[in-house]
Amino acid sequence: MYIHSASAFTGEANADIHFLKEEIRRYTQENFRRVNRFILLSLLGALQCVHQQPLEAATAVYLTTEDGNLGETADVLDEIYESKSLPRPFGFINTMSNTAAFHLARNLGIRGRNITVSSQHLSFERGLELLKADFAGGAERSALIGGVDESSLSRMNRKEPSGRGWRMVDGSGWFYVKLEKEGACGAFTEIMSFRDGPSCMRWIRERERSPVEVVSFGALIGDDEATALRETLRPAAEFDYLRDYGYSGSATACGVSLFVGLFQAKTLLHINRDQRGNYAVIELERY
Amino acid sequence: MTCSLGDSLEGIVDAVRHKRIKLEHIPFNIARLPYTRPYYLINRNEGDKLDNRSAEYFYAILFSAVSRALRDAGLNHAEIKDMHLFFGSTSMDVPVFEGKHRKTSATVSSMFLQSSSGYGKIAGAIVEKFGIGGNCYSFTTACTSSANALLYAAAMISEGHIERAMVVGYDLFNNLGFYGFEALKSIAASEYRPFDRTRDGLILGEACGAVVLEGMRRKASDFMHLGGANLCDTYSITSNDEEGSAAAETMNRALKQAGIGPEDICAVKAHATGTENNDKTECAAMRATFGRDIPPVTCVKPFIGHTVGACGVNELILFTESVKAGFVPSTPGFREVDENLKLTPLMENMEAGEGIFMLNYFGFGGNCTTLILSNKDNKE
Repeated sequence: MYIHSASAFTGEANADIHFLKEEIRRYTQENFRRVNRFILLSLLGALQCVHQQPLEAATAVYLTTEDGNLGETADVLDEIYESKSLPRPFGFINTMSNTAAFHLARNLGIRGRNITVSSQHLSFERGLELLKADFAGGAERSALIGGVDESSLSRMNRKEPSGRGWRMVDGSGWFYVKLEKEGACGAFTEIMSFRDGPSCMRWIRERERSPVEVVSFGALIGDDEATALRETLRPAAEFDYLRDYGYSGSATACGVSLFVGLFQAKTLLHINRDQRGNYAVIELERY
Repeated sequence: MTCSLGDSLEGIVDAVRHKRIKLEHIPFNIARLPYTRPYYLINRNEGDKLDNRSAEYFYAILFSAVSRALRDAGLNHAEIKDMHLFFGSTSMDVPVFEGKHRKTSATVSSMFLQSSSGYGKIAGAIVEKFGIGGNCYSFTTACTSSANALLYAAAMISEGHIERAMVVGYDLFNNLGFYGFEALKSIAASEYRPFDRTRDGLILGEACGAVVLEGMRRKASDFMHLGGANLCDTYSITSNDEEGSAAAETMNRALKQAGIGPEDICAVKAHATGTENNDKTECAAMRATFGRDIPPVTCVKPFIGHTVGACGVNELILFTESVKAGFVPSTPGFREVDENLKLTPLMENMEAGEGIFMLNYFGFGGNCTTLILSNKDNKE
């Protein structure tokens, strides 16, 4: 899967929605009405990614998210339970998080699959796996894939995983990927999944590729585990995107897409896990 | 599968065969509206009332359906451990927060915001409960959610990425959906009548279904997934292009992926929500795909309601189990042809044997999904 562009938007938690609309106006003339923070974040990250990039008309959208449309779902619940009324029709419709992927496809005029998928702590990795299957099966040849999450009260309250001092942000990280290499700025060279840490570590030890230049870790990789991985991999550099850019449910998508913009001619190994102890590794080459 | 018709497959199929429907009327107590709307409720026993529901109830329904699917598939411990989980739902765990609200003074929204664990929570609970070791994929694409879960589980098996998958479709009653669809003025007043001239909307239902997919048949009666497709119709967020072009393209892509032509389809399970736009669009799409010779069409929502994101899995189970029992279900409630649609769905059960079938699903956000299934021997 060749990367033709990538970028991320990370913004202060609960930033004024008008600020997001202003930012979006840098990329499109469309005036989005009846949209919410989650939809605006999706649009902003993705439009920033494909700005000035010629898009194939047949392009699919894979939106990955941990929590989806939190804010508007809460508002609609308040309309029903606190205001004791029927909700606003578009408020209700927008509780369905796939409306964000719809707005994106419509704004860009693209036609293809349109999937919104989630998986605790590994949403972006699982989305990449679905995309990989679609590319392999010939269902799609061109896609936008991203991770989008509003800052989440629940994750802050549980100190999970932001208890390690990362600031909570709104995040929207996107990639435009194609089967064709021509014009690409990088590639996803591995998307691996493991049932446990030892299997992941064994694969890392046995991989025959050249030494890892840059390594990054997902939010649930603990300090001791990160130390062990660093000792095994001996990377030339580490990209601590959580410390530098903050945490959202879509931190992986944001971090990996930021890597594309910040590091040239480098290879990234991103290692992540979920709370069950399943691991996922993304290897990305930046040309 | 658990739905308004019960939780025994034999009982559900028998009810479908004999057009037995259980429809209840639910008031809008919170908003104090002076009317009720029909709903297809799960009713497991006398004490099973909407007001008593809790997180325990939510997970009891879920785990029961999953447990029965595992047992029916005859999987051993190692096979269960090796399996991957694909989950589809519109409401996810909103019913849990609404249930908790009844026992506390906290607002539903504050509980939701402060303790939601994300869309992956329910799939996580399933794999933890049953010792499933594989990856979890939770789809939230409105009313196509579990249909897309099926589509991707089947694709990942056929591409050799995984060997085995469980696909679960689950949506339980929740006020967010019930009040939301009422706000859209989409709920019918009393009876489900898809494609009928006098149709006046959809009737919601709740259901939980689980299916196990593998690369090879275990039983001769097992259905094969031959192909499928998903496409976004960017015409409107709530309705499809009335010409049905995106829906027709989805059907055609699915046929192409299955390696068959429209003439190979024995029957179509329509999405058939009973709303003005869906039925119009879907008819136009079938006409564009099949020409004048549209195969027999069945609409199964009048049996269990529109189970929103869960309808992908639950309508597939209802349809395939009926075919296994020798019939394609009729469409209760249909009486009068709409001259604008010129489509008469099956009004009596149609005898069914081996064949290839098309299952269509559409959802908000322009999401269109078509699955092609076969129970023919020569499609092994």
